[in-house]
This record gives sequence, C-alpha cells and structure tokens, in this order.
Amino acid sequence: MGPSISLNDVGLRYENNIVLQDISVSLDAGKCHVIMGPNGGGKTSLLRSILGLTPFKGEINVNWTDSKGKIGYVPQKATFEPSLPLTVLDFILLNQSRSPLFFNFNKKHKVKALAQLARLGMADRAMFRMGQLSGGEQQRVLFAQALLDNPDLLILDEPTNGMDDQGVRYFESLISDLVKEQKTILVVHHDISAVRRLEATVHVVNGVLIESGDASEVLQTNKIEQLFNHYRSTPVSDVVNDSTVNSEVA
Amino acid sequence: MDTLRLLASQGAEAGWLSESFSYAFMVNALVAALLVGPLLGGLGTLVIAKRLAFFSEAVGHAALTGIAIGVLLGEPPENPIIGLFCFCMIFALLLHFVRNRTAVPYDTLVGVFLAVALAGGAALLMYVARKINIHMLENVLFGSILTITDFDLLVLGISCLLIIVGLMFTFNRILLASISPDIAKVRGYNTHFYDYLFVMMITLVTIAAVKIVGAVLVGALLLIPGATARLMTKNMGSFVLLSSLLATLSCLIGTLLPMELKLPIPSGASIILVAASFFLIATIYRIVGGRS
Repeated sequence: MGPSISLNDVGLRYENNIVLQDISVSLDAGKCHVIMGPNGGGKTSLLRSILGLTPFKGEINVNWTDSKGKIGYVPQKATFEPSLPLTVLDFILLNQSRSPLFFNFNKKHKVKALAQLARLGMADRAMFRMGQLSGGEQQRVLFAQALLDNPDLLILDEPTNGMDDQGVRYFESLISDLVKEQKTILVVHHDISAVRRLEATVHVVNGVLIESGDASEVLQTNKIEQLFNHYRSTPVSDVVNDSTVNSEVA
Repeated sequence: MDTLRLLASQGAEAGWLSESFSYAFMVNALVAALLVGPLLGGLGTLVIAKRLAFFSEAVGHAALTGIAIGVLLGEPPENPIIGLFCFCMIFALLLHFVRNRTAVPYDTLVGVFLAVALAGGAALLMYVARKINIHMLENVLFGSILTITDFDLLVLGISCLLIIVGLMFTFNRILLASISPDIAKVRGYNTHFYDYLFVMMITLVTIAAVKIVGAVLVGALLLIPGATARLMTKNMGSFVLLSSLLATLSCLIGTLLPMELKLPIPSGASIILVAASFFLIATIYRIVGGRS
C-alpha cells in the first residue's frame, strides 16, 4: 500500500520569484494524483518539494502505513552525453546494483535489468548508448529505472514527454495496473485528454492550488481556459523558504 | 622488493631481460607504473563522465605550491610529501566547497583556483631557490623514475589499495550522482558525500603519481587513456577496463623506452607521449572507419 501525502501551507520562492504559496492538500493513499497547470505554475517545484529535493516553507508529510517504503522517480528530463559509452543496460544496472559496472559478472543482475527493460519495450535497445536514444525512448528507460524496486510511491514529472502513441497507451495501462496494486502515484501531466482517460484526482496548480477533484469534475470543457491561464490572477504575498521543515522523504 | 630487484638483476645478467632491469631504480619505476597505471586509467573514466578534466589538471598544478610549502617548512626537498598532501587536499576540497555554494560556472572557478595556486607556487619558489637546487624541482614537475624509493612505493601501494577498495563499493553511486543527481538523491544516496569522496580520490592518486608522471603531467594521464578508450568502447565496463589497460601500458612503455633508447627524456613526458600516440591511433581509426 502506498502512502498518503499531506501538504500544509507549502510555499516556495527562488530569490524574488514566488513559485508556490499556501498549498494545502491531502493526497489519498493508493490513488493516482495528477498535477496540472500552466507553464511556470510550480508543478515541478511541488514534486521536487515532496521529494525533498528543494527547500520549501510549510509542512509536507509522507505517511507510510508500515515502515518507510520505496520511492520511484522519473525526472522531467535527464541529459546524457552521446559520446559517453553508457548503455541503456549500464544505466539500469547502475540504479539496481552496487557491483561496479567494470566488475559486474552477476548474470542475475543483467537478467533482472533486461526484464525491466522488456516491460517498457526497450530490451532490444539495451546495448544502445543512452545519449543516442530519442527523448521518448529515454523517458521509457527512466520509467524502467523508477519501477526497479517495485516502489510504493511513484513520482513522475511529465513522463510521456516525447513518447509515441504506443508508449503513451502503455504508460496509461501501467498506471492503471499500479493503482490496482494500491500504489500511490503522483504525476505531472499537461495532456488534458490523456488525463481524462486516467482514473485520477486532478490538482490544478498555478502558484496556488486552483482546484482539486476528480478529473471529470475539474476538467470540464467550460472551465479549462480559466484553469490554465498562464498569468496569475491571485495576488501573492511574501513567502520565505524554510529548509528546516519536516518532511519524511527528505 | 629486494627479492624482485634481485630476480630482475639475475634475469638481466642471464640475458632474459634487458640490461635496464639490472638497475634497482628501474624495477622500482616499473612496479610504480604497474600500481599507478590501472588506477589513473580507471579514475580517468569518472573524470570524463563527470567532466572534471580541468579540475584534475588544476590539482596537479597545485602540487607545485604544495611542494614549495613543504620544502619551506623543512621537509626534505626530494620528498615533501606532507606539504604536498595537505595543500593539494585543502585546494581540492576548498574548490569543491566553493563550487557548491556559488553560482560561478565550474570551469571559471577552476581557472581562478588554478591561477592562484600557480601564482602562489611561483612566488614561493623564489624562497625555495635559496634553500635547495631549483633543478631538483624538475623531477617533481615532470617526473623522475630515478627518485622512486621503497617509501614512495609503500605510499603508492597504500593509496592504490584505498582507492581500489573505495571504488569497488562506490563506483556506481559516484557515476549515478554525476549523471542524474536527483535520481541518486531520491534513492537515498548522499550525492555531496560521493562528490567529495571522488575529489579526495583524485587528489590522492595525483599525489601518489607525482614522482613517476610529474605534477604538471599527472592530469594528462588521468584524461588521455580515458579519452582514447571512449573512442573505442561501447559500454562502461569495457570503457573502464580499456582505459586502465592503456594507462598501464603507457606507464610501462613510457618508463622503459627512454632507458632502452638512451633518450634524456623525463619519465612523465615519455609516458604522456605514449598515451597521446594511443589517442592519435584511436582517433585516426575512428575517422578512417567513419565512426567519429
């Protein structure tokens, strides 16, 4: 069972730029939650705050049912130098095992890594360099990496960026399977029609939390334009980051 | 070591080995080359992956100041190990500390630190020159196989052991922390710890290799075998192994060749020239093969 996550008065600023303020919301355990909003609205910053990667003001609690479980994370993008001979298999092994890549003769590790890649349709690219893959293929590998430890909490930042239709459909079926296994999933997504297909709770963020609820309620056609306005209509007050905030993830 | 030197001497007398092997310093130098080669080659792959080539060069140049400080504080001029170790370690850690706390681009910061270290070294050398024959410093700057002692081999052996054991447990994490720090952090790895650990490894191997390759050229031996292997390999495992092999071969051939051909070339220079010739061959191979 995945954890529930509660955010209380979460705020974040980079120097004079206020990114988030007064975000208070509870994310139920074992559900898929989609964070949407216009560009620059603070979606990625919110994910990074939950992961403990960015200092923030307020309180974020990740409430595990038993002991602290595993977390899988797919960043928005990762840059791989094309000339570095880091293969897809190397990258998975890097995340999976402590045995150094130049001394890893354990066949079990390789079999497990290849099985994970096969799950994402990337087994035939195992010996390709990471830097040679297309953006969509890299996203698939990053997704395979996130699923390695069978995580209870999966945090995905625009995971279908650059993916083809087949990849997007596969992603959706995988999310559906993971929700059935009662994993908690938190996704930043920008494709409204794709989000409508997911059985998810949608949270629209644009500096502040604009609206939360079932996708069918939040993403009504007549509300879309208002929800995704690029500019912020709400005046923002001063927010100061406080890195001493309690977060069980950090 | 005595047994090894005796065996080499007997081998030379019997005609199985070249005459060079009858000299004790030559055996010392070859043992040093066998110890330091794989390590420099292996670490060099991480230097390339982390884009720290300029950094390793700077640490090598900082050795000049470290040596000057050591001599001024009363260490023997032929082996000022404490001054060298302390200054290089402080230089490297301070550079990394400042990097983590400012928005100054890393190459700019390394450039500033390198210039300060060199200027400091040049200033101190004026005082050092009053105490010792300044030409002794050439050995430290460009390497000298004649000066390798059993104590140097002991320091080298301990350094190599520490780094190899460290790398066996941390190689993957150091690499992941440089390729994708966010994923590494989410996995619970302390990326700052692995960054500093790597910096300390580079500094340690630089100090250990100063006698054989020289302070000015040790950065090149961290870089060139890795750069060559990158052109020739298709995965990280073979990248590390080939880089280690090329660095070891460069050290061995670069040490032996001037002796055999009776060329008055410092060991550091000949080692780097051998390593560079491997790089040239690999580059031509890639260009001719149309795979550059």
